[in-house]
Amino acid sequence: MIGFLAFAARRAAEGLWRNRVMSLAATITMVLMLVLLASLMIILSGMQAGLALIESRVEMRAELFDGVAQERVEELTRQLTALPEVAQVSYVSKDEALRRFREQLAAGGREDLTEVVGANPLPAQLVVRLRDPKSFGSVRQTLASPAGVVSRIIDQQSSVDRLVSITSWLRVVGLIVIALVGLTVLLIVVNSIRMAVMSRSDEIEIMRLVGASDAFVRWPLIFEGVIIGALGALVTLGLLSLAAGPISQLAGIIAVDLPVASGGRLATDLILVISGVGVMLGGLGAWISVRAYLGSPQAR
Amino acid sequence: MIAVLDEAHAPDAKPRPAVDLRDVSKVYANGRQALAEVDLTIPAGDFVFLVGPSGAGKTTLIRLLLRDELPTTGLIRVGSYEVSAMRSRDVPRLRRHIGTVFQDFKLLPRKTVRENVAFALEVTGSPRRLVSTAVDRVLELVGLTAQAEQRPAQLSGGEQQRTAIARAMVHQPRVFIADEPTGNLDPLISWEIIRLLLHINDLGTTVLMATHNAEVVTALRKRVVALDEGRVVRDAVGGYHGSH
Repeated sequence: MIGFLAFAARRAAEGLWRNRVMSLAATITMVLMLVLLASLMIILSGMQAGLALIESRVEMRAELFDGVAQERVEELTRQLTALPEVAQVSYVSKDEALRRFREQLAAGGREDLTEVVGANPLPAQLVVRLRDPKSFGSVRQTLASPAGVVSRIIDQQSSVDRLVSITSWLRVVGLIVIALVGLTVLLIVVNSIRMAVMSRSDEIEIMRLVGASDAFVRWPLIFEGVIIGALGALVTLGLLSLAAGPISQLAGIIAVDLPVASGGRLATDLILVISGVGVMLGGLGAWISVRAYLGSPQAR
Repeated sequence: MIAVLDEAHAPDAKPRPAVDLRDVSKVYANGRQALAEVDLTIPAGDFVFLVGPSGAGKTTLIRLLLRDELPTTGLIRVGSYEVSAMRSRDVPRLRRHIGTVFQDFKLLPRKTVRENVAFALEVTGSPRRLVSTAVDRVLELVGLTAQAEQRPAQLSGGEQQRTAIARAMVHQPRVFIADEPTGNLDPLISWEIIRLLLHINDLGTTVLMATHNAEVVTALRKRVVALDEGRVVRDAVGGYHGSH
């Protein structure tokens, strides 16, 4: 068995070298496809992480009318806290709201224009954190029920919805593009192995003549496809590891912790998926080619 | 006398023929009848010439024996192999049981003599440690020990055919089939090849040689089977064109 594997691997390597232009072309398209696949995985994973982040911070803000009596606000807070959907209710005073707004401006490096305005234009707020971001229950009605307390309700549901739809759209388009590129790769591998079959047709004739079993004829050719896939995966993972730093930085900018660096879950997934897809695509292409150009195992 | 001895010693053990064809016909898909009702038995250890004009069916017969093709009707046996009824996956074993050489040597130009011979063992899964000894043995048999490291292009035609013979013998086949082995060689070299085949026959291997070489056939006085238009038209000892 080991002897057979060594034989098949040696012959496959010989074949790849003899056919090196075609092998190189096949490997390069394989890399192209795998890079696309990896990019899609990284982008989708980033968007997923962003989505999770936003969802975890989903809260409803209720802006209050100026000069509402403190006891009415406290009464509303009690009612809200009693609701099963609500995790926490906190009161942000006008001054606190202004302070936070100024901090935000400073962090963004923008000019603070609030000084120009004489009075504090920001309303006081009630911030309602939900146990489950998707279930609002009767929070909205409760907020709206006492007349003259809440002036405006702000929730982030619409932005969450938009991100979800972008993510699923991207997933579909990405998968279609990858399927098309994958098909191209498959055809190129099939063609590459067809060239290998033709370039060694005299060897194959002799092998059959001297009583080589089908496995000895076929497996070296299938190995050639597998090696093309494995090489493609290796190059792709090499490129990714070079790009890992910049990708993480980029992700950091949009406040998403993307575990792309080595050891992270995404990195492990990428290594598994990229090498798996590469090897399988290479092997499948070679198998198709061998079946098409050598006949089925029972043919001779 | 011999018959009596045979009966006395082994009443039922009639030795199995090396090659046995019973009522074999082959009609190709295009309707051409390549072989018609061929009966042919070659006892183990024989040396048989297969003669006949081009298109008489010699090559078809050889292809049937190697199970490169299946007969349309009839039974074919080679040693213990039921060639006409065997499963595809047993075919490699049949082919190791038969050594084959052709007019166009079929050597691999990039490999040396030694590598060409070793190739037959490598691709049939022989353990590596056995390869070198087996190759040395057959190279000695065909007298190419000194040329072992040369490539086919550096060899004469006769040496190339001897390389092919070494490769065919490396599995120690019981049957040796030569299809026009001297077709590309000049008369002197042809005789060298024939002498080698006779030697292989002496060592116990059954030899079936298809040839156009009337001089060789006439000189050797071996059994000659003549085919014409797919039929056996003559089966006798000696003579190329026969007495018809």
